[in-house]
Amino acid sequence: MNAVIAVEGLAKEYRVFDKPEGLAASVKSLFHRPSRVVEALKGVSLTVGRGEFIALLGPNGAGKTTFLKLLSGIITPTRGTARVLGHVPWERADDFRRRFALVMGQKNQLWWDLPAAESFRLHREIYRIEPGRFERTRDELVELLGVKKLVLQPVRDLSLGERMKLELVAALLHEPEVLFLDEPTIGLDVVAQHALHRFLAHIQAERKMTIVLTTHYMKDVAALCHRAIVITDGAILYDGSLDQIVDRFTTHKIVTLDLDDTPDADDFARLGFPCEIRGPQVTLRIERQRIADVLPEILRGRQVRDVSVEDVPLEEIVAELFRSGAAGAARLPEEARA
Amino acid sequence: MDRYLSIFLTFARACLVRDMTFRANFVLECLTSMGWMSMNLAFYLLVFQFTPEIGKGTGWTREPFFAFVATGLIINSIVQALFMPSAEELTEMVRTGGLDGVLVQPLDAQFLLSMHRVDFSSFANGIVGVGLLGWALSRMDHAPPAAAWLLYPLLILCGVAILYSLVIMLAAATILLGRNQSLYDFWFYLTNFSRYPAEIYAGPWGGPLRALCTFVIPILLVVNVPARVIALPLEGQAWGLVWLVVTAAIVSLVVSRIVFQTALAKYRSASS
Repeated sequence: MNAVIAVEGLAKEYRVFDKPEGLAASVKSLFHRPSRVVEALKGVSLTVGRGEFIALLGPNGAGKTTFLKLLSGIITPTRGTARVLGHVPWERADDFRRRFALVMGQKNQLWWDLPAAESFRLHREIYRIEPGRFERTRDELVELLGVKKLVLQPVRDLSLGERMKLELVAALLHEPEVLFLDEPTIGLDVVAQHALHRFLAHIQAERKMTIVLTTHYMKDVAALCHRAIVITDGAILYDGSLDQIVDRFTTHKIVTLDLDDTPDADDFARLGFPCEIRGPQVTLRIERQRIADVLPEILRGRQVRDVSVEDVPLEEIVAELFRSGAAGAARLPEEARA
Repeated sequence: MDRYLSIFLTFARACLVRDMTFRANFVLECLTSMGWMSMNLAFYLLVFQFTPEIGKGTGWTREPFFAFVATGLIINSIVQALFMPSAEELTEMVRTGGLDGVLVQPLDAQFLLSMHRVDFSSFANGIVGVGLLGWALSRMDHAPPAAAWLLYPLLILCGVAILYSLVIMLAAATILLGRNQSLYDFWFYLTNFSRYPAEIYAGPWGGPLRALCTFVIPILLVVNVPARVIALPLEGQAWGLVWLVVTAAIVSLVVSRIVFQTALAKYRSASS
């Protein structure tokens, strides 16, 4: 694999100070502040190939954003090595910084009081983009995201979704080879999320860009990524394809029946599977290997309008993974990746 | 270098566009700072009603002293316009993690962080300073020699460089501490020493203070040397001061660069 990102034993520790409650404790803390070391990242190793679109998943405080900050050279690690596009990120070489972009959903990088067009112009100067290429790329991105009318409006007057689209335009103007996205859809409505998904999928396929995405929304992941890395408590818990997450960490499937009438609860309870009845709709949780055997039996003698057999939702699996922590730790072999 | 100039001009243009968007605020800022400056000038006029000279035999009579004040106005307006808005914003950027966005850009972070905001209203004081300098020089008994006219802009630049270095080191403290809201206050207290002729720092307390503010934190050289060169006769001691301020400017820039880079390497970034 042609590794664009290669990380070995990357660790980041912070010293944090504890602030005890009360006036006396506050006065005491002027002279002695108790502190402890927090391990935000505990020796993470991985490689990412050119053109991969990977998702970094994990609960709050898992170390996802710290990992992105290390890969983009914002902070320096306590231990370990990393190379992104052949560069050590925290050396902050201009040649490196010209080849990637970082978009943070919770931080605004456009000039707040000015139209985005002014930020784009500044971006052209900073990244030394040739004027013809700049105009071509800007027009293409603006067209793709449908934000042509917004570029001359002050950023402070835009909605969150509109602003995020313009942030993406700014980030992509210099045509980066690697794009780090830190929760880009946070706070966006479904329509705006969907628009960003389509745009990112299109731009990644067209430019063969390597994208690392951190998100809490499984819809982002399902729509865009083939490979997911689950981080909890600063360590990688799972690294593999999305399909493999489902196969490996769920033993059940969800069978949903739409019946003509509301059924008798006891009738389904007798089948011995966990079930939930909502009006004429019945949801059963059945072991994967038994589906083929038991489904005919379930359908027999019942007036069924529709039936569906689905995997357990990704959100549920990943949430369970977060909860189980190390208990579910499993690193899939390289060949299992998408 | 052309690229940095071009980027600076783009920043300046964007700031001007922003200032023009909030015109009333811009006019108010100009009026506020000019009002403050007028009160200071009125105070000095009052002082000269009671004494012909600041310190006996120092040469700082009314017109040379106003040339001194004008020089201070010019230097401070340059620093306030070009560097202070960015430095003040840095505190907020460190606290909120906005600095992250700067560090990923392919540009010298010190340049970007110290010059991305331009406060055009602060130039108003500088323009008045130039006018005041012209008025003071036209009323003096002797005209400054050609060498003084040539040296004056260079020494102004040296003064700006020393103050800039100070601002950058205070900004670096912001990065290391995570929060430094007294940055502007501290800068104001320090630069207060540069507002008066060095000769007033005399006696058992004044002497050590003068040495400290000349050789350790060379704040006393900032206005004194250019003002002395343009307003007082260019004699032997003045040449020594010229070399001293040039050296102090270079050393200050180098030290501030090292301090700033060290602070950036220790940047922790705010939680997201």
